[in-house]
Amino acid sequence: MKNKVIIFTLLLVSLFGCKTEKVNPNYQEDALQPEYIHRSMKSLTDVIVHDIFSPPVASRNYVYPSVAAYQVLIHQYPNYQSLEGQLDGLAGLPKPEKDKAYCYGLASVHAFLQTSKNFIFSEQKLIAFQDELLEAFKEIGIPQEVFDRSLAYGEAMSEAIVKWSSTDNYKETRSFPKYDVREDPERWTPTPPDYMDGIEPHWNTIRTLVLDSARQFVPLPPTAFSLEKDSRFYQETMEVYNAVSEAEPEHVEIAKFWDCNPFVSHVEGHIMFATKKISPGGHWMGITQIATKKANADFMETTAAYTLVAISLFDAFISCWDEKYRSNLTRPETVINQYVNQDWLPLLQTPPFPEHTSGHSVISAASSVALTNLFGDNFAFVDSTEVEYGLPARTFDSFYDAADEAAISRLYGGIHFRPAIEYGVDQGKKVGQYITENIKLKK
Amino acid sequence: MHNKYIVFLFLLLTLACNTEPQIESATTAALFTEKNSTASGLSFSNNLNPTSELNILEYLYYYNGGGVAVGDINSDGLEDVMLTANQGQDKLFLNQGDLKFTDITNQSGIKTNSDWSSGVSMDDVNGDGLLDIYVCKVAPISGEATHNELYINNGDATFTESAGQYGLDFSGYSTQASFFDYDRDGDLDMYLLNHSVHSVRSYGKISKRNELDELSGDRLYENRLNEAEAKFVDVSAEAGIYSSALGYGLCVITADINNDGWTDIYVGNDFHENDYVYLNNQGQSFKESMPGVLNHCSKFTMGVDITDMNNDGLQDIFTTDMLPYDEVVALKSGGEDTDQVFKIRSTFGFEDQYARNHLQLQMPDHQFSDIALMTNTYATDWSWSVLLQDFDNDTRNDIFITNGIVKRPNDLDYIKFVNTQNAGANERLTQAQLDAFLSKMPAQKLKNILFTQDDDLSFSELTNSTIGSPTFSNGAAYADFDKDGDLDLIVNNINAEATLLANSTKGNNYVSISLINANTAQTSKDAIVKVYTGELIKTQQYVTTRGYQSSSSHNLHFGLGDMTTIDSVVVIWPDRTKEVFKGLALNQLHEIKKGADTKPYVFSPQQAVAGSLEQLQIRHIENKFDDYNADKLIPELLSREGPAVVYEDFDQDGQKDLFFGGARYQEPRLFLRKAGEFVEQKGNLDFKKDAKYEDVDAAVIDFDKDGDLDLYVVSGGNDEKELNKQLEDRIYLNDGKGNLKRLPLSLPHTNGSSIAVADFDGDGFEDIFIGARSIPSSYGLSPYSFLLKNKGGFGVDIALKERLGLLTDSKWADIDGDQDIDLVFCGDWMNIGVLVNQGDGTFQLQSDELGLGQSAGLWNTIYLEDLNQDGQLDIIAGNAGANFKWKASPEKPVKLYVMDMDENGQTEPLIFYPYFSTYLPFTSMDELVSQVPSVRKQFVTYDAFSSVQDIKDFQQIKAESIVERKQIKELRSMVYLSENGKYEGKPLPFNAQLSTIQEFSINDEGNLLFVGNYHDYLTELGKNTANSGGMYKDFNAATGTFENYQQLPLPANLNTRGILPMGKDEYLISVNNDTQYILRMPK
Repeated sequence: MKNKVIIFTLLLVSLFGCKTEKVNPNYQEDALQPEYIHRSMKSLTDVIVHDIFSPPVASRNYVYPSVAAYQVLIHQYPNYQSLEGQLDGLAGLPKPEKDKAYCYGLASVHAFLQTSKNFIFSEQKLIAFQDELLEAFKEIGIPQEVFDRSLAYGEAMSEAIVKWSSTDNYKETRSFPKYDVREDPERWTPTPPDYMDGIEPHWNTIRTLVLDSARQFVPLPPTAFSLEKDSRFYQETMEVYNAVSEAEPEHVEIAKFWDCNPFVSHVEGHIMFATKKISPGGHWMGITQIATKKANADFMETTAAYTLVAISLFDAFISCWDEKYRSNLTRPETVINQYVNQDWLPLLQTPPFPEHTSGHSVISAASSVALTNLFGDNFAFVDSTEVEYGLPARTFDSFYDAADEAAISRLYGGIHFRPAIEYGVDQGKKVGQYITENIKLKK
Repeated sequence: MHNKYIVFLFLLLTLACNTEPQIESATTAALFTEKNSTASGLSFSNNLNPTSELNILEYLYYYNGGGVAVGDINSDGLEDVMLTANQGQDKLFLNQGDLKFTDITNQSGIKTNSDWSSGVSMDDVNGDGLLDIYVCKVAPISGEATHNELYINNGDATFTESAGQYGLDFSGYSTQASFFDYDRDGDLDMYLLNHSVHSVRSYGKISKRNELDELSGDRLYENRLNEAEAKFVDVSAEAGIYSSALGYGLCVITADINNDGWTDIYVGNDFHENDYVYLNNQGQSFKESMPGVLNHCSKFTMGVDITDMNNDGLQDIFTTDMLPYDEVVALKSGGEDTDQVFKIRSTFGFEDQYARNHLQLQMPDHQFSDIALMTNTYATDWSWSVLLQDFDNDTRNDIFITNGIVKRPNDLDYIKFVNTQNAGANERLTQAQLDAFLSKMPAQKLKNILFTQDDDLSFSELTNSTIGSPTFSNGAAYADFDKDGDLDLIVNNINAEATLLANSTKGNNYVSISLINANTAQTSKDAIVKVYTGELIKTQQYVTTRGYQSSSSHNLHFGLGDMTTIDSVVVIWPDRTKEVFKGLALNQLHEIKKGADTKPYVFSPQQAVAGSLEQLQIRHIENKFDDYNADKLIPELLSREGPAVVYEDFDQDGQKDLFFGGARYQEPRLFLRKAGEFVEQKGNLDFKKDAKYEDVDAAVIDFDKDGDLDLYVVSGGNDEKELNKQLEDRIYLNDGKGNLKRLPLSLPHTNGSSIAVADFDGDGFEDIFIGARSIPSSYGLSPYSFLLKNKGGFGVDIALKERLGLLTDSKWADIDGDQDIDLVFCGDWMNIGVLVNQGDGTFQLQSDELGLGQSAGLWNTIYLEDLNQDGQLDIIAGNAGANFKWKASPEKPVKLYVMDMDENGQTEPLIFYPYFSTYLPFTSMDELVSQVPSVRKQFVTYDAFSSVQDIKDFQQIKAESIVERKQIKELRSMVYLSENGKYEGKPLPFNAQLSTIQEFSINDEGNLLFVGNYHDYLTELGKNTANSGGMYKDFNAATGTFENYQQLPLPANLNTRGILPMGKDEYLISVNNDTQYILRMPK
């Protein structure tokens, strides 16, 4: 209701108030508020949560819009350079016309939102936000001609990025075979309550952006499956069992804080309901927002940070998923219910894909490397990303500190064995380091 | 807009019609009139007021409603009524006659508390000749001292609650009690059905059935009032009754299910626990026998009734479930499990279940076959009670169903988008959140349903079968309340007055019978009554607890139609003596008291089926490949063909041998017959090497014309891409002694299905037709089939290479009588076709020309025989059958479109099938979106998707991008009889339509044998299991029908593939992924 009133007022203003164009001499500066990209990113996150995307797919939804925004904005900030030639297949992006004025702040968020629409379903929600944002830009007083030209450039960039994205093998993988469930005890099988099919068994065939292949950083394999009481695997199983059965309150808090499950279904007989949250990638995009704000990053630094983290997440998911469907390891819940205690429940709902390595561990480690690279180690921050999902903020001394906690939280949650966490962190760090070494944002 | 206009026109027409005096038609709506409480005095409403402490989230069965019990409590000859309430007061009404009732609750001694009552029954529990009342309670959500209540009749229309004294004061989650005499000692024992409330988060193993649950587990109580204990005693454990938390018991009936004279128990369980069929072991104990008796059952079983539906003397079973019939609700609601989950559930040990009503017809061998799909009674939405009685007195029992749900929690938009809250995982939601959830959960009021049985097992169309006004209806009971000779109904509704449906059937005769034992302290319940009139024998058992949370009339009512006399009434008393009563008048209630002239009654053991069966130690082992993982939108698995069997004399010793070709990774095997025994020939290295092929068909051919039999094996499998080496066919040459060596020859690489060998060009060398089944992972596209001309025994030439369709069978025969052989073939999504030999080595494809132009089906097999003796071969063709979720006709075909929706190089098959008044897409939105995510752009919600009825409803599909369009116009198995060079189709009779027919065989006597079933449809269609095989002894040329049916002695639920004659009256029954059988029929 309130929005409608605003829009109506704006309409009135645009219809009657703007007969004679009022140009704001500082429009360039005023358009470069990092808040615009923050809000756009948040809007994308909200739609991703609503539409329900699995964590790897969500990472794809973040990366292409971010790159689009980045590629526009570098024309405002000459010390930053294009990712063309740095990201696999990215080339020949549209360039602004020489000697023509652009409002790159506007063009950048426009490119971001236009691109975003191609990756989510509920376009109406994004369009509503976009309309609101464009009105805000109009308020700034950008010359109409510049305004129009900027939108056109944003759209051109969006088109080019979407075209590039269409060759990443995503579309093709939709038709690839589902995960094949077999009865081997060590092999992953679907888990309660929904017994969902394994998510994205062919994600390792998605084109990596920086890594030379999905297999570039293969982690150590999981511990050999064994039901012998004195075996390492059995002990690791009991470690998870006890972590839940005898959980310390702080560990419960940590597990819940990092749950980041996009779709948890609750089953009580006929009654089913779901709770939704941001994906783990979304959580790290949230941390990026917190960090950039705390560091007073400008529009360019903010966009660059989002882009670098998004790229790290994207490649980290591919690397992790490559291992998941190589080792195809069963989940603690399956082993424990089958051989230890039929009634044992993990603290968190077991996500629908193989156990090794832990996605949280890999992608958190990779993101923390990217953020540390940008903002330095020992960058303390208060992580309030999950507050809107009903979880209190947590304080971290550094990005690595946060990543380590995210990693171990999966053991506390009862959904990962220890090697998936330790080897996963190692795998993620290697991915992150390789990306920061090979991506040059500044000239 | 368009619709509104039509409705308006229709209204006009209706108005216009109203000026004419209305002629009562035979539609079900006309049978019953709703009487309101002002007229009837039945002032009762089960009102629910969800509170923060008690609501659907706190108690999952919050909206399961109350029950109705019927019985004459004051012995005035009129049956009275008790109605139970969940949060209000139960009420007892005295029947004053003329459909008027008086509320006597307050003076009756019935407690006026508001503890949660569920099911109710009226029975003479203490054997004093007066009906008592037993009320079940959901104690844990009620007051502390709550327990089930037993109201003993004081004889003056007042009652004394005595549950404690009788040992029946169970306190837990009770649903319903049923009183019956399981040990035939003359007193009534009690089965107490309770329900679990624990979360069904994970399936758990079925071994949990043996763990006692104090509050939720079912109980069996033996009546020992006249023994030392002087009360009812819990005998559950020793009697073999599961009393565990796995049982979500929502309905129970005690009836003699297997017709052996001992009363059995059927328990309908909600959720993943299958229903229980407890067969009574001579009163000693019970054995849960569901897997041996039923092939599958309802998944969310809510109501049950058992009676003889087809007047064959055998009990049949109906269970209700929750499948919506409205296409919008169907597409918006969660229903059948995915195939993956279906498979996982069975690994935990649970039996097959489908989320639809089941009408289980008992066969002569006492196995049940579900015919709900065939009779279109499978979808009545969220259904509770079912009552099987002859409501229109036409001699055929009808089906009454109550339905409706106050809060529809399986609405997919609700689950995925509406109710989602950003709450911490696994945490209880706050009260405010709960309330918000409730307000958003959709409600579904529905009209109750009465399917009238208008012909033998043929029921009124659903659209003509709704009665009354939309309600949330639960328990229901029938009785002839006004004694006008027909059965009326009382239905307990949530948040609305109970419905009294007054029956105004006219014109048909009836008889009602009330039974009294010689010694009135002995129960007459469980007695069986047979009414003989003309050709008709009607059977009913004296069972009152039926439907849902309710018990119905104690009188047995028989509709007699236009029968004018009753020849006799046979009562089989509870002690299983038989007494014959003659000279009973029509159209009245007879009180029959047990007399002295009784004789022992012998229950015939299960009817022996002619023939014998030998199980061979030859097993077909399917390789582990689930087609739906690779090809998500398919309706059937194409990798489950085979075995390939050939019975011929390979070693030329005068005895035929058996070749057995297995699935992928299973070696082909040759069994030589030596002295009557099959001895496996060992050491064939070529066979060993060729284990990697999936053998789907094979035939002998004297390829090199050296006088012995060579072997052509068709390779198949849907798991390898077309042209893959592993799909290549093979020829094995015989050295004359039965040693088969593979001939190095390049042959077709397809997922083959069928071979037909004959010398079509008359050059003396046998030629080969190879029919192909599919292009792997491109369902719907037609692969190449081949005609291979034998080049003098040295090689083959391709004489014909055509995309004929998804072939399943082919036969050479001179179909047009021009002295050369033609090729007849059939398959899926295609007409039966003939390649007519032009005599010059070329062929012309004909179908329409032969009258087969509307025959597109899911054909498995054809058999050619001149049945009508006109000199031209007729075609007997095996199809998916009429007992199938899809229905098809030339007017309303099932439609298949194939296209690459998202242009990623992978085709999508989209199927639309007729569903009641409209069409439904076969794929779920979830499956489609997983393959083509962009579909979600158009259909952001399930609600949006629920309007999809046709390919046109997909914006992203352009007509020109559709690469293949196919249809199914006929799903019944048929005989096509020749008529002047053209074929005239006639469906095979009832029993041949029960399942998918895999193959026919006709013996020397002209008997038609067939084998059927198919387990490899997707769960959405369901395993097809209702008939493993049968035989028609005669063909009536005058009517063109097969007659005189008998079952073959095959195990139920067999996944047969073929029937191969092995000699006179001996057949090899080939079975997929199972052992093989030899069937011997009596000479």
